[in-house]
Amino acid sequence: MSGTAVSTPARSAPQAAPGSGFRVRPGHSAWARRRDRRGLAFVSPFLVAFTLFMIVPLAYAIYDSLFTSRIIGGTTFSGFSNYTQILTSGMFWSGVVRVIIFGAIQIPVMLIIAFFFATAFDLGVAKYGRSFRTIFFIPFAVPVVVAALMWGFLFEPVYGPFSHLANLFGFHNVDFLSSGLMLPSIIVIAIWEWTGYNSLILYTALRSVPRDVVEAAILDDTPLWKIIVKVKLPMVRPAIVMLIFLNTIGALQLFVEPLILNNYSAGVVTLNWTPVLYIFNTSINSAQYNLGAAMAVVLGLVIVAISVTSLLFRRDRGEVS
Amino acid sequence: MTTVTERPAASPAPSAESRRDRRRRERIEEQDAAIPVELYGLKRGTVPVLTACCVLFAVFTLVPVAWIIFNATKTQANIFGTFGFWFARPFEFFHNFRMLFENVDDDGTYIQWFGNTALYAVLGGGGATALAAFAGYGFAMFRFRGSKVLFYIIIGSLLVPIGAITLPLYLVYAKAHLINSIWGLILPSMVAPVGVYLMRTYIGLSVPRELVDAARIDGAGEARIFFKIALPLMVPGLMTVLLLSVVGVWNNYFLPLIIFSDNNKFPLTVGMGLWSQHATTSGDQNLYPLIVMGGLVTIAPLIILFLILQRYWRSGMLLGSIAN
Amino acid sequence: MAAIALSQLTKVYATGVKALDALDLEVADGEFVVLVGPSGCGKTTALRMVAGLERITSGTVSLGGQVVNDVSPRRRDIAMVFQNYALYPHLSVYSNIGFALENAKVGKAERDRRIRAAAETLGLGDLLGRKPKQLSGGQRQRVAMGRALVREPSVFLMDEPLSNLDAKLRVQMRTEVLRVHRSLGAATLYVTHDQTEAMTMGDRVAVLLGGVLQQYDTPRALYDRPANLFVATFIGSPSMNLYEAGLSADGGSVARPTVVLGSQRLDLPAPVAARVAAYQGRKVVVGIRPEDLVLGSGSGSGLAADVRLVEMLGSEQHVYFSIDATQAGQAAAGAAAGESVEAAILAASAPNGVTRLDPGVEVRPGDRVTFAVDPARLYFFDPDTGQAITG
Repeated sequence: MSGTAVSTPARSAPQAAPGSGFRVRPGHSAWARRRDRRGLAFVSPFLVAFTLFMIVPLAYAIYDSLFTSRIIGGTTFSGFSNYTQILTSGMFWSGVVRVIIFGAIQIPVMLIIAFFFATAFDLGVAKYGRSFRTIFFIPFAVPVVVAALMWGFLFEPVYGPFSHLANLFGFHNVDFLSSGLMLPSIIVIAIWEWTGYNSLILYTALRSVPRDVVEAAILDDTPLWKIIVKVKLPMVRPAIVMLIFLNTIGALQLFVEPLILNNYSAGVVTLNWTPVLYIFNTSINSAQYNLGAAMAVVLGLVIVAISVTSLLFRRDRGEVS
Repeated sequence: MTTVTERPAASPAPSAESRRDRRRRERIEEQDAAIPVELYGLKRGTVPVLTACCVLFAVFTLVPVAWIIFNATKTQANIFGTFGFWFARPFEFFHNFRMLFENVDDDGTYIQWFGNTALYAVLGGGGATALAAFAGYGFAMFRFRGSKVLFYIIIGSLLVPIGAITLPLYLVYAKAHLINSIWGLILPSMVAPVGVYLMRTYIGLSVPRELVDAARIDGAGEARIFFKIALPLMVPGLMTVLLLSVVGVWNNYFLPLIIFSDNNKFPLTVGMGLWSQHATTSGDQNLYPLIVMGGLVTIAPLIILFLILQRYWRSGMLLGSIAN
Repeated sequence: MAAIALSQLTKVYATGVKALDALDLEVADGEFVVLVGPSGCGKTTALRMVAGLERITSGTVSLGGQVVNDVSPRRRDIAMVFQNYALYPHLSVYSNIGFALENAKVGKAERDRRIRAAAETLGLGDLLGRKPKQLSGGQRQRVAMGRALVREPSVFLMDEPLSNLDAKLRVQMRTEVLRVHRSLGAATLYVTHDQTEAMTMGDRVAVLLGGVLQQYDTPRALYDRPANLFVATFIGSPSMNLYEAGLSADGGSVARPTVVLGSQRLDLPAPVAARVAAYQGRKVVVGIRPEDLVLGSGSGSGLAADVRLVEMLGSEQHVYFSIDATQAGQAAAGAAAGESVEAAILAASAPNGVTRLDPGVEVRPGDRVTFAVDPARLYFFDPDTGQAITG
């Protein structure tokens, strides 16, 4: 993308000499190709970084996963033995099950709340919509670490304010960070973190529903619930699907919240509590990089499987894209 | 989108209006442009109920923020001893704030972490925005061989779990002696597939093909077209991507956690995580007030940044791309 | 009792913009009334207020004799066709048409019958299973009409339904719309910016400009007796030729004034003279419709002109000419400070009139011709108010 000299299209477009049998395919003239190559030039800085910092590590991870390191014997090629180990590992899969349960509860609840508010704002039914939207979006500005830290304080079993509140309501000795309540507590935190963002996206989607379709529905005497569910909701389906997609990928990679909360309630969050935690502990703390790499690959495949399923689900319904 | 009414849009001269008047007018225009609420056939009392719900959720949203504000002013004993949602004597705000400037038992200095995070965020986020803008432009305006496939690969990378990329990245760094280098964090932060996706969509919507073609016919070089013609039109999209990228780097925990062994290079996330760990393992460190104060100072700039960028930021962009 | 009655209907937006100013209008049962005017004239605003989609600032809307200002659009028994059709994109044509019936809890069998009947009327029978995005513009438009038709409303509202169609289709659909209207028999209020649609379709036409009603009359009356300059030029294509002129008595007796057009004079017969008697000796604006100018000197009054441009349309030709009268509404050509000599010369030779002639007539640019003018077909307007001079 240097400041190359001008090449006016008219001058450089090749002329097909009559009777020469040389035919110019539209869009594939030398000029068009040269121009398209410039497009590549625009994309290349990103591509270089992308390759270096995403493709290369990924390839390296896959490569690494086929080896095993031992203190004695060094690193040897072990084929798929790491994978067999993981696939039969109860510890790994219990973590996977946990994040699936986490996602299965957190994502629908959060989306329903987000859609509820998005609709309320879109219809203009709630006053001061703009101020509320801004407030709801604040958690997005809070780094997950800080959010986990703060909620940790709030949930803290002995001194935290929520425990006091629970006492007031008659529930004594509630430990929000016990092994039983840890996951629900994290669900609450995740809802806190993400509802505003999702709500904003849904709100924008709802705003882009053409006004006259809604007016037509009003003239057709459509009750409000039907307008929301049968007219607006189907028209924002692409946004909802995308949000489910993004949220799922995020939920399956749950890592920071349990890691931080463990500081408040030692021992509840085990090494394999979530898959990414397990990968982290295996690779860093146990220095079993190969096994960790294999786990990451397996987790990646699980994520792909689940995410792609949600996309297929959308196409099955024959939705308007 | 429909223009239902050919409404003559008359607005008073900008210089004659104060900011408050302008905002009021914008709000009225916004209301005018919306479908009147009464047409929906709502039952009486729906509005107050909905407003109450909004208030409830707003309270829920602000609870941790309020807690941070109140407890950043307390001593460690008071954080645990007194009512969480009000102040207590002694008022230690300034003391706690000053502590942020000190190196607390060799974990590192908060202020240093803050500076680091700002640096990483600006460089990483800025770089990410630039790369995304170039790449998005390339994808939107040109049709080269394999552009479609490439684009899908880039989007597909979102599916890859962070562990599959960051952990091996660490190993690669180890081989390349890049461990503990700030560039080891900044450079990967510049790779933002989401940014490319958003920019491509936004550019597709806001930079008319005809404009670029006309400029080409007029003999402008591609670089010139990009900077002089396309870039000004991309600004709202750029702001959104910038915001998202900066927030992303600011929030980043995993990568800096594993590549930095040097306290001085920690970003805020890692530093605070470390404090949190030490606060519980080494009992009476008086770290808690610091953690809370640190948390407060961490979130304040981002919230302020939001409020500033809000006027440029088209939330429509975040979503309009998704609908495509 | 009128099916639709608007009384002093006004709309002022919160920003202070007045979109509609005290409109009075009545539509009888079964009548097809067209609201026409340029963009921003308030016609759509008026329509939407009748529908109940726009808040009324002041004035009343009455349907069937009842004031409905406070009645929800859901209860007004009206159906509307939107400019962009506003079809439900995720529903089939069948469901689109039947949506309102579903809401009204009409039984499945009855619903099906009505949907199919409407589809039949509009030639949509084969398309019932398709989704809007699989349809052409014209088909979508018909679905929108079907959706309104099937409700058998007492009032039909249409907001520029044909303006998104290409020219040929528009002509076809005009007859379709009228056919549907006649089969329904409901009062219809139709909004358009196209004066041809207004003239060909309306029983009566209301012309609006800047939120103010200019004239409300049958197409014939609008053509023959335009109330002001705007209506005169808006109706009829090509537009009426307008010139600044004077009425004088010298050269003729007081009872027989002449129209002074530049260097030429036209005698006015008694009935015409009586009409314009009040403007004796004053300036007026004279209008001549292109179709009223024919070649050759007929009964006395003739107008000499230089032909500048000939447009051959096949069925007729548009001949652009210039006479040395000043075109009305034109800033004095070349008199603006700083205008170059070239511009002045150009202006002097620019055509300032047009006529429609039979294709067989031989005219060429540069010819000097004489048009026969029937003085009874002249229109006169007050130069200051633009109102027609009716005497």
